[in-house]
Amino acid sequence: MENRPVAQTTHRAMGTVMTHKAFGLHAEDSLEAVCREVARIEGLFSRFLPDSDISRVNGSAGTTSEKVSLETYDVLSKAVEFSRCFPGCFDVTIGPLVTLWKIGKGSLAQPDDASIKQVLPLVNYRDLILDPGEMTAGLRNGGQSVDLGGIGKGFAGDKIVEVFKEFDIASAYSNLGGNVVTLGAKPDGSPWQIGIQHPRQESGLIGSVSVANQTVVTSGDYQRYFTDSQGKRHHHILDPTTGYPAECGLISVSIVSDKSVAADPLSTVLFVAGMEKGLEFLRGFPQTEAILVDSNLQVYVTQGLRYRFQAAKGIEVTILD
Amino acid sequence: MNGWTIALVVVAALAAAGGVGWSRLMKEHREARSLPLNAVDFGKLNDGTYHGAYEGGMYKWRANECQVTVSSGKVTDIQLVASKDPAAKNTQQEVLYDRVIQAQSLQVDTISSATLTSKAYLKAVENALVQAQHE
Repeated sequence: MENRPVAQTTHRAMGTVMTHKAFGLHAEDSLEAVCREVARIEGLFSRFLPDSDISRVNGSAGTTSEKVSLETYDVLSKAVEFSRCFPGCFDVTIGPLVTLWKIGKGSLAQPDDASIKQVLPLVNYRDLILDPGEMTAGLRNGGQSVDLGGIGKGFAGDKIVEVFKEFDIASAYSNLGGNVVTLGAKPDGSPWQIGIQHPRQESGLIGSVSVANQTVVTSGDYQRYFTDSQGKRHHHILDPTTGYPAECGLISVSIVSDKSVAADPLSTVLFVAGMEKGLEFLRGFPQTEAILVDSNLQVYVTQGLRYRFQAAKGIEVTILD
Repeated sequence: MNGWTIALVVVAALAAAGGVGWSRLMKEHREARSLPLNAVDFGKLNDGTYHGAYEGGMYKWRANECQVTVSSGKVTDIQLVASKDPAAKNTQQEVLYDRVIQAQSLQVDTISSATLTSKAYLKAVENALVQAQHE
């Protein structure tokens, strides 16, 4: 019955663990190519690899612009677009704050208020200068830095789907440390069932959503957090306006959409904006749905998911109009 | 003149009644939408054939009765026995029943979560191994 070869692989990349699964004649080869592509993108976007495009742009902040690859230019343009559309909720130049909170490298630590106030003026996407003719990117002031934490994995997700297609794969999924992309449906024609992590139970789900050819990206306050001496939880989604972790009443936001590069920043935007403003933002994105969890653990799903979201046992769901 | 006044009063009364009716309908829709199905532990089902009924709706217009078969601890069949809903003939509910049979409990292909660090993954493996040692 081996007429439908299947291959699966798990590896570490972009600071997380990724799993890819593909069905098709060239499944094995496609996964090799996917891993190579992820490594290539990480080589361009990483803030920790000294030769990456982003490291060079950050290193030359305040002095000069740097030539960057097509992909870096593309992702930076999109990130600036999101920063412009959702001011105060998303900012691609959040690097100095991220460094201060030490996100991505070991544990989080609470910086003092004075240091936060000091770096806050450096966070300003308007200071990222993109030149489409020269394909360069530069930061106006020394000390500024770009961080693609809220969009890089989304970009990689869409690229992975392209690689699968090149290998004639009709059915596949990738899980980039929590960001899920799917190609087609499952080999039997049924949709992929994507579980949505319960934000307060490590091995629990709040439910699952049926998808085909779509992406599911979740932002939450439950990974990369620490609890301070007062028992307050500090997580990794920073509000670019205050410099502190965002607190707008939502503890988890999942976006279901066609494009991962949009779903990734959107999940952050909704998390920072809160439910009311966030849902208003969402209306500007057709074919884009959301699953929201508020601090009372109440689950809300948008209209388009009413038949596609299945709640886990004991989870009550409100369908949003 | 009198005829016009009466007509206006009648129209106003109808509009008010319609408004009240509409708001009740909306309320009921909201109720129906958020009906939780959380009382069942799909992991603990005894084999057999069971009947279930629900009398929902303002005039019980969503009342229906079904028969559920459990074998080897799993839901294997669901049949609609009776329904007041004229749309039930369109067999929409069969799609829903199929979904219950397929789903049982949530079976997922992969999980979407906030970005997990590789460290967190390793921690989970460690926790699992610690448990394994106690057993």
